Amino acid sequence: MEGIKKDKNMQNSFGKVMAYMKSHISDVAAYAGLILCVTVFSVTSGGRLWSSYNISVLLESVCVYMIVALGALFVYSMGYMDISVGSQMGVYCLLIILIVNATGSLILAFAVVLALTLLCGAFNGFVAVWLKLPSIVTSLFLMFVFGGLQMLIIESTGQNSISVNLSLSIMLEPWFILISIVIVAAVVFYFFNFTKLGKYTKSIGANELATAQCGVNTTKWKVIAYMVFGVCVAIGTMFLLARTGSAGKSTGSSYAMDVMLSLILGGMPLSGGMKSKVRSAIIGSFTYALLSNGLIISGVDINMVYIIKAAVFFIVVAISCREKGVFLPR
Amino acid sequence: MDNQTILVCKNIVKKFGPVNALNGVDFEVRRGEIRGLIGENGSGKSTLTSIMAGMQKATSGSMEYKGKVWNPDTMAYAQEQGVCMILQEAATIKGCTVAENIYAGRMSEFSRFGIISVRKMIKNAQELLDSFGIKNIKASDVVDRYSFEDRKMIEIVRAMSSEPEILIVDETTTALSFDARELFYGLIKKLTEKNKAVIFISHDMNEILEHCTDLTVLRDGDIIGHLNREEMNLPGAPEKIRFMMVGREIGDAYYRSDFDPSHENEIALEFENVSVGKIKDFSLKLHKGEIIGLGGLSGCGMRLIGRAAFGQEKLNGGKVMRNGNVIDSPLTAIRNGIGYISKDRDTEALILSASISENITLPSLDSLSEHTFIDPRKEKALVKKEVERYLIKCNSPRQTVSTLSGGNKQKVSFAKWTAKDSDVLIMDCPTRGVDIGVKQSMYAFIAQMKKDGKAILLISEELSELIGMADKILILKDFAVSKEFLRSADLSETDIIGYMI
Repeated sequence: MEGIKKDKNMQNSFGKVMAYMKSHISDVAAYAGLILCVTVFSVTSGGRLWSSYNISVLLESVCVYMIVALGALFVYSMGYMDISVGSQMGVYCLLIILIVNATGSLILAFAVVLALTLLCGAFNGFVAVWLKLPSIVTSLFLMFVFGGLQMLIIESTGQNSISVNLSLSIMLEPWFILISIVIVAAVVFYFFNFTKLGKYTKSIGANELATAQCGVNTTKWKVIAYMVFGVCVAIGTMFLLARTGSAGKSTGSSYAMDVMLSLILGGMPLSGGMKSKVRSAIIGSFTYALLSNGLIISGVDINMVYIIKAAVFFIVVAISCREKGVFLPR
Repeated sequence: MDNQTILVCKNIVKKFGPVNALNGVDFEVRRGEIRGLIGENGSGKSTLTSIMAGMQKATSGSMEYKGKVWNPDTMAYAQEQGVCMILQEAATIKGCTVAENIYAGRMSEFSRFGIISVRKMIKNAQELLDSFGIKNIKASDVVDRYSFEDRKMIEIVRAMSSEPEILIVDETTTALSFDARELFYGLIKKLTEKNKAVIFISHDMNEILEHCTDLTVLRDGDIIGHLNREEMNLPGAPEKIRFMMVGREIGDAYYRSDFDPSHENEIALEFENVSVGKIKDFSLKLHKGEIIGLGGLSGCGMRLIGRAAFGQEKLNGGKVMRNGNVIDSPLTAIRNGIGYISKDRDTEALILSASISENITLPSLDSLSEHTFIDPRKEKALVKKEVERYLIKCNSPRQTVSTLSGGNKQKVSFAKWTAKDSDVLIMDCPTRGVDIGVKQSMYAFIAQMKKDGKAILLISEELSELIGMADKILILKDFAVSKEFLRSADLSETDIIGYMI
């Protein structure tokens, strides 16, 4: 008798676990993906994954993805997107190098870049609303503008790439990176969960009309969200430059898609809305960086890395996006 | 009349996870009847009919149609076999012509050697529309040109043209204009004269009592009872039906019990010669503690006035004022203590994918925010108060709104504005799609708001609601006020209806 009862209890709690898994499938998939990457690469790399050198390399790449993805969270939670960040980051790297080399002031360089990112954010947010364009159009426009600028700047130097005459190695110290990402993540966590900014951007993503009827000036908050993203892009660019030390024609170009992939791997619905979480940016950027790094140190042919990434991406999306409704951004 | 049975349902059970939507229902449809189905939201009316029409499968039980086992896999198959259902939501195909919509899935009737004669199809469709007495719809037009009501009519024509044996109508009439309703009643009457059957789902008691030949009442997935025509004609039938639906006495305290139209002198909201859309020069003073009702046929412009009061429309002239401030956007409206409950509950009033808590706090975030910080404890306290006030049925305030029943959803959209402590409330059809039990409590809340000195603009398509609740009723016709009525115990729907049409 008691045995049966116990059995039933077991079944019940098993059912509950299954129900939880089902309703949190994208979270579960995100965690599972990260754990899978860690375990698989721990084995396939023969322990090299955990070497102190590799960990510092990993941290360097994670921190750029994560800082930019944390900013992107505000934009993507509205169901909007920005595919211009990659070429923007390329141009900013070049600008920082040119300004630092000419004046020696890193702060001035950062200030200029920050001003530009804020301007681009305002442009993306405001023009999209003003001309009633989908955000992909304005960011495509910016992508081409910055892509062109990058070419023009590098051509004008007459070199294939330019290097910065200032050591940024302090930014590559693990403790510095860790402190930086903790600060950025904490600030984003605060603004995303405990202020109007995050609550409004999620609401806009879930139902813009209903949000506007609650007295929210959606245009204003879109612009703010894009500008916050801009701040994170500026910070992320500094870390990118610290890593590369130089910049050329293709610097940064892959970042727009990398950030989007990180968010998806972290379980973020690209249609935005209430299910947007800060942890998507954090988990996703770890998974994404691990994927690139792990495959290479496991001795996979570099040409195969993209194919494998594509396969992983496909599987994660297939698992986590089975829910009804739109998944793609507007 | 030949009363032979056409469809039989035996012991139909439908489970959605742990929830029983139908617990073993036996149901019969006979030729020549208009069978009303009535019950509160979630009583199982739509579930039962959608199983008959092939939209979903029963968990267990069997059906027989024209003497054979009936187990349709799709709605298209059911329709082909003569069981046709018109749904609550619009189901016309965008970008196609009216004729294409009417003959969707049946175009081969007009094809020769694989080429469809569009001209012939349009001609046939037009003849069909004409034969039904629908004059304002042209078969060659693209459906997008037509209003929701007209598209609903096109759907009805489509259903009728397939000459169904059983036509199931799921709360379609709420979407129709007055003329279209009359037309529709005529059409279903004709069907029964041809010895077909109609199943008619509605929340509107008057409509059911007037047009159905038989009535079945459902509650919580069980059939509670049947009424025939004679029983429906008895005095006291509405009370009896309500009792069957709710399972308890509704009592007399349904609407406001007092007939005192007095209010405070202070003006809460003022329209000064407002021109918006086709409305010209509309003026109105809404006082504290006053309920003003706006009535009329849908499309008469009353919704526009509600939207203008909340700053959602661009005015062509005049202004909407509150406390000396011009209301020109939802933001200024809310800052001046105005709240708006939209008729489009699921698309405008609520964020379905958000939790109860997130929905209720959204308009209040501005005032909850202190130096950017929104304290979760304050949010929680605010939500708790509202959930308790309205007795919102939920496991926790973190439950997603999309999982709630219609009545509870509507409670959430009320709660948004009481949480914000709005002094002026604009309610556009606040009890639409809400069942009697919840309706009664909504009316009690509205009456309480009046006592608390709130000003209410009540826009409604139900005259009985306006008569029961408003201090003053403005009837609109063709974008102008055709008549004003003051609250009185003698006022009846027949006094008003003439000014609407």
